[in-house]
Amino acid sequence: MAMNHPIETKIYKRWFESYLFPSSLFMLALIGSMIQLNMSPKLFWEGIPHFFSLVSEMIPPNWEVFSKGKILWSILETLAMAFLGTLIGCTGALLCGLLGANNLTPSKLIGETVKRALAAERSVPPLIYVLLLIVVIGLGPFAGMIVIALGTTGMLGKLFAEAIENVDPKPLESLESTGATKLQIIRYALLPQVIPSFIANTLYRFDINLRFALFLGVVGGGGIGVDLQMAMSLFRYADALAITMVTLAVIWSAERISDYFRKRVIGQEVLQ
Amino acid sequence: MMKRYKNLLLFSGILSPLIVGSSLLCRVDLMALVRGIPRATELIIRMFPPAWGTFPDLVRPALETVQIAFVGTAIGAFVSFLIGLMAAHNIHSRRLLRQTTRTLLSAERALPDLIVVLFFVAIVGLGPFPGVMALALGSIGMLGKLFADSIEEVDPKPLESMAAIGATKVQMIRYALLPQVIPALIAHTLYRFEVNIRMSVFLGVVGAGGIGYNLVTALRLLKYQEAMAVIITILILVTLCEKLSEISRKAIIGNELLK
Repeated sequence: MAMNHPIETKIYKRWFESYLFPSSLFMLALIGSMIQLNMSPKLFWEGIPHFFSLVSEMIPPNWEVFSKGKILWSILETLAMAFLGTLIGCTGALLCGLLGANNLTPSKLIGETVKRALAAERSVPPLIYVLLLIVVIGLGPFAGMIVIALGTTGMLGKLFAEAIENVDPKPLESLESTGATKLQIIRYALLPQVIPSFIANTLYRFDINLRFALFLGVVGGGGIGVDLQMAMSLFRYADALAITMVTLAVIWSAERISDYFRKRVIGQEVLQ
Repeated sequence: MMKRYKNLLLFSGILSPLIVGSSLLCRVDLMALVRGIPRATELIIRMFPPAWGTFPDLVRPALETVQIAFVGTAIGAFVSFLIGLMAAHNIHSRRLLRQTTRTLLSAERALPDLIVVLFFVAIVGLGPFPGVMALALGSIGMLGKLFADSIEEVDPKPLESMAAIGATKVQMIRYALLPQVIPALIAHTLYRFEVNIRMSVFLGVVGAGGIGYNLVTALRLLKYQEAMAVIITILILVTLCEKLSEISRKAIIGNELLK
């Protein structure tokens, strides 16, 4: 009876349309995907003893791997890739940001093109760039570094352009009225407003790039990633743990340094 | 004035040896770029026309990539919600639990994804399962923190009035907390889904299932036309997933019944 009442029917219909239907669709997709991916709870339970045997094989870590020196070199290579890639990428991003921001772009056409190009860059998964670049310029950290720089430009370029568009226009206008050149306007009215956010974003991206540099090694982009993967796939787990621990130590110290600079540079008045 | 130049000098003094050192380590070779130009043109010529015939074989791995990202994000978001509740100060008053959760979350975020993936592959073997687990774990580090922050930012009045009428914790969460945080949680989750789709493309390379593997193999076997077909598939897949996430974001955030 209640179901037939027009208002109640309407409520049920709305409840069905905007709550029950989408959530059951979601659950159906989720369960269907899990079945197709062969994700049985059994795998999970079987993993637990594997986990313990893995841990017992890893300990103690085999520090001998560093005796050759090559491994330590690879870790530094990863760090160098991330650092240089971030630096080149953020320089490119600054240029793209200046050219792409609506309030600064030399012409609407250029601004629009730059923004489109950045969006296109961001939508392509980095794996594609790495693999193609490796074909073009060969295996090694140079290819990996370029991919990091590209990804950094794609993301930071957008953020920089947005930051530039959101600045207070008054200092820019007053400098312009005194007859300052474009370069002077950028240096004295624009940069002081945006530098803190630029540096914060760049250092944040550096943290992302460090992690990404590890992945690049696996596909041949240089760095420690490939050594780590080799050790794992050859079941040399004690070596893998030693490499992992040193890599983590290096990455974490690099992050502490980047944190330190973030705080220091932002607090500095010289740049403002 | 002096201080200004001193700082600038100090800054470039630190920066320039770092730049030179890393250029050497990265084996930066501008000639390689010049030499790369003819190779790149040749590569592009060899890639066309794409091998359209391989598309039917690509549907399955492409779907697998999406499924890995989807299931990984869903599991990650579910666990993150529970962890977010544990890490938020306005839900319970056990300080130790809260601090432990927050510390674990930041430790997870500090852990590079590659290490997580390789460990899962070592534990449960190759295939999509370690990929899903790695994406889920990777999502928890970020989503757990964002969820906890969103939960802490809610208006406390509805929670207090529910507590005053003697509602249980579950009722408070359902009727006072969820309506306020759902839009933010969904937005964060969908953003993470987009990140995970890209990660999922990469996972194939380490043997964790999906279409990345097809791209690597095609390029290794120098089957450039097939590689182009895979690239086109990946681009379609990523674009579709972004559109899908945009549509669901609008549909869910505009949904009043959840409020």
